[in-house]
Amino acid sequence: MSETQSDEEVPLRDRIAANPRPALQWLAGAIVLLAVEFGAFIGVIIQLALTVVRLLPSNPGAAALASAGEAAESIPTLLTRGLIPNQGYQTASGEWMGTFLGLEPAYAWLLRVVLIYAYAFVWLGWFWVGYRWFRDHYRYADWTPRDDVVDRLRSHRWGQFGFVLVLAFFVLALFAPALGPTTVDANIQSPYTHYTKYYDDEIESVSNVTVGTANLGSTSQGAGGENVGPWSYDDYGRFHPFGTLTDGKDLFTFMAAGARISLMIGLVSLMIAGFIATALAMLTAYYKGLADLAAVITSDSIQSLPVLLVLILASAVFGNTWIANLYNGAVLLIAIFSVTYWPFFWRALRGPALQISEQEWIDAAKSFGQKPRVIMQKHMFPYVVGYLLIYASLTLGGIIIAVAGLSYLGLGITPPTPEWGRAISAGQPYVATASWHISLIPGIMITLIVVGFNALGDGIRDALDPQSEGGEETGGEAAVAGGGGA
Amino acid sequence: MSETIQRETEVSSGETLVDVENLKTYYEDGGLLSDEPVKAVDDVTLHIERGETLGLVGESGCGKTTLGRTLVQLESATAGTVEFDGTDVTKLSGSELKNWRRNAQIVFQDPESSLNDRMTVGEIIREPLDVHDWKSPRERRQRVRELLETVGLREEHYYRYPHQFSGGQRQRVGIARALALSPEFIVLDEPVSALDVSVQAKILNLLEELQNEFGLTYLFIAHDLSVVRHICDRVAVMYLGNIMEVGPAEELFADPANPYTHALLSAIPEADPQSDKERITLRGTPPSPRDPPTGCPFSTRCPAKIRPEKYRDTDDELWERIEVFREVLRERDRAERSLSERARALIGMDTRFSDVDEMHEELFGDVAVPPSIQEQLDAVEEHLRDNDEAGAIDLLREEFGSECDTETPAHHEVSAAGRTSLCHRHKDEHEEPAEFFTHTVFGEQ
Repeated sequence: MSETQSDEEVPLRDRIAANPRPALQWLAGAIVLLAVEFGAFIGVIIQLALTVVRLLPSNPGAAALASAGEAAESIPTLLTRGLIPNQGYQTASGEWMGTFLGLEPAYAWLLRVVLIYAYAFVWLGWFWVGYRWFRDHYRYADWTPRDDVVDRLRSHRWGQFGFVLVLAFFVLALFAPALGPTTVDANIQSPYTHYTKYYDDEIESVSNVTVGTANLGSTSQGAGGENVGPWSYDDYGRFHPFGTLTDGKDLFTFMAAGARISLMIGLVSLMIAGFIATALAMLTAYYKGLADLAAVITSDSIQSLPVLLVLILASAVFGNTWIANLYNGAVLLIAIFSVTYWPFFWRALRGPALQISEQEWIDAAKSFGQKPRVIMQKHMFPYVVGYLLIYASLTLGGIIIAVAGLSYLGLGITPPTPEWGRAISAGQPYVATASWHISLIPGIMITLIVVGFNALGDGIRDALDPQSEGGEETGGEAAVAGGGGA
Repeated sequence: MSETIQRETEVSSGETLVDVENLKTYYEDGGLLSDEPVKAVDDVTLHIERGETLGLVGESGCGKTTLGRTLVQLESATAGTVEFDGTDVTKLSGSELKNWRRNAQIVFQDPESSLNDRMTVGEIIREPLDVHDWKSPRERRQRVRELLETVGLREEHYYRYPHQFSGGQRQRVGIARALALSPEFIVLDEPVSALDVSVQAKILNLLEELQNEFGLTYLFIAHDLSVVRHICDRVAVMYLGNIMEVGPAEELFADPANPYTHALLSAIPEADPQSDKERITLRGTPPSPRDPPTGCPFSTRCPAKIRPEKYRDTDDELWERIEVFREVLRERDRAERSLSERARALIGMDTRFSDVDEMHEELFGDVAVPPSIQEQLDAVEEHLRDNDEAGAIDLLREEFGSECDTETPAHHEVSAAGRTSLCHRHKDEHEEPAEFFTHTVFGEQ
């Protein structure tokens, strides 16, 4: 919206100055929302920067960033495990020590999860209010084509269902450290350098034990007592909302951290592939001829390769090189997905882009000497970006499946970094036993997320292009979803 | 040939703004297989005077839109020159071309497709000003508001989107965009043909008012002849990439010179239901612009085609059958033969091109064919049986063809006002098309 508004009679800034009340209220809302989680936001930003820095050859400033991250952790934050702890021990009298207000760990954890999700939805509401207020108070146009898109999306229940699922997934990924009953570092990465307290009945006092040892005592192996199922406590008084893995690690913590890496791989590779595809689609549709032919041949060559096999091959070939160690192998996956997925996007965008390039407003722009780059940006891209969004949301599910599939095969993300596919793979022998949860829960989650992204894609498509309602394009969709399926 | 005429008209009229000389615009879109380009504009010479409206009429696909687009450099010319105020704009490029583009704008046919729906009307009209960095942003906005008023819209439409407008209003927006840079010359590419009849008149009146107000020069492309008669000072009639006749509108409508103009004008419906005006109906469809006829472009369909001396008295019915026969052969020659058909022809098997007797029966079965003509036809059919289509076509042309088939006619000047017409019949030795039609088509009633 901002780009259409930027060159109006009175700049947006002046319009806000003329009527500052709604804008200030809105901003105040943002400040309050940001303040309660300030430490966490800074932490996320530092962690992102740290990830990028570690990809660079000499790790410039990595140490400084790491210490900054530690400093950020000390900033008081509302929704942290520190403020609402769920880890504690139960004394002989049945009283819980160390948990939030002495609540049972399950409820302390649940409270935190509910608060985090409530917080995320308050943010969503904040964005919505901002859009409404902008529309009511600051925008000149009383109607824009985008309003119709938003209105159609508001009445699209299936799309909203998808949106809620996707948002839940995003929140899971974004707030992974705070959502888990324990942390990845303590429970999964280095369990033998972290300790947990528990009340030892034999000696009738509180004992300290390494998390590793505790994990060994709370494995899920199907047979006999060797199982910690969903929504249960292990022998050390630790709560496991989704149960434990075969090696006693917490499945929920594993899933939340895995969501982060899956989402990261999916989003980054989609952005790269989408960028390549859009740029090419604009160029080939505008110049046609030889440029188009070259792109067709290149994309056909790439598309003729079976994606899954290429993924396996590339993972195996580059598996022992330095690339595979960057960000636990995620960078390699991102590179492979970017290279193999852009032709699908480009194919999907080429038709609409060619169609738009034949419109007379393109000729009109040429007739007064508009630059080709601006014509592509201003007169073609807005009509193609919708298709890009649809295909991206449909493909993201496919990439998540593919990453899980690779991990299932033992390729892809290096252990012990959490990845959903590895949980499914690990739990597979126990599907028919008491430890069914190890495979089933990640499986259901993947299904839900792919359904969510597809539903969201359907919603966006119907909102952008009302004529397509009724699903004539289901064939194309199936092809897209299938293209990503591993 | 036409140049001499051009000079004369220049002397006799006002200042020439656009001078088109031997302009050719070919489309090379056939890819790897077909080497013949589409000759959309094939050797057009005309001029447009400052302040006038030149109408450009013709059937769909005759190249009139391509000509208009070439004049504003949306298509690049294959050959020839377009001189605008003395500069050849086909040679311009880069910033020179961009600067020149201020002078020539185009209004498109379909207002649904010519406006970007994602931009507000204000942004659409402002874009040309932004591109050419016209004055300050504040002045640009002011100019857009003025333009909105000028074309009969309201200032508050600035922030509306094209979706919120009717076809006529959208066309007004398109006109305002074309006017934004104060051009001297505007190509109007069928600006009203996509509009409701009640709106057409309003837009036409607006265009006329704008012309008077700003001294604009129009090239008005249309296929609606009554609209052209209403709005244009001069009219050019186009057929198959060629200008067949060009001259003052009233004169051209009242007393057409070219056979094609005759045919076009006779197709205008009469408001009087009692009218029993004879129509000149044209045979078949225009030939492919990929493979235009040699000689006169209209020769394949011309109702006033010159006959060779010795066949002047041949029965009209039979003569038409012979012309159809020639056209059939031409068409079939052009139709691409598949590989298997070529192979069959090579080993002497029947091909789809060999049903000569059937064709003869169908064409000449019910007309009396004099022995002299029969003899010629037999010779032609002999060639056909030998799968020598080219030979058959050549033979037919030699025997039954005239200068219309072999020589491109000159642009003959046909009136004192400098009207020119592309037809052999304007030569002294032939009957003028008008006279010919009087005793043939119109004389039969």
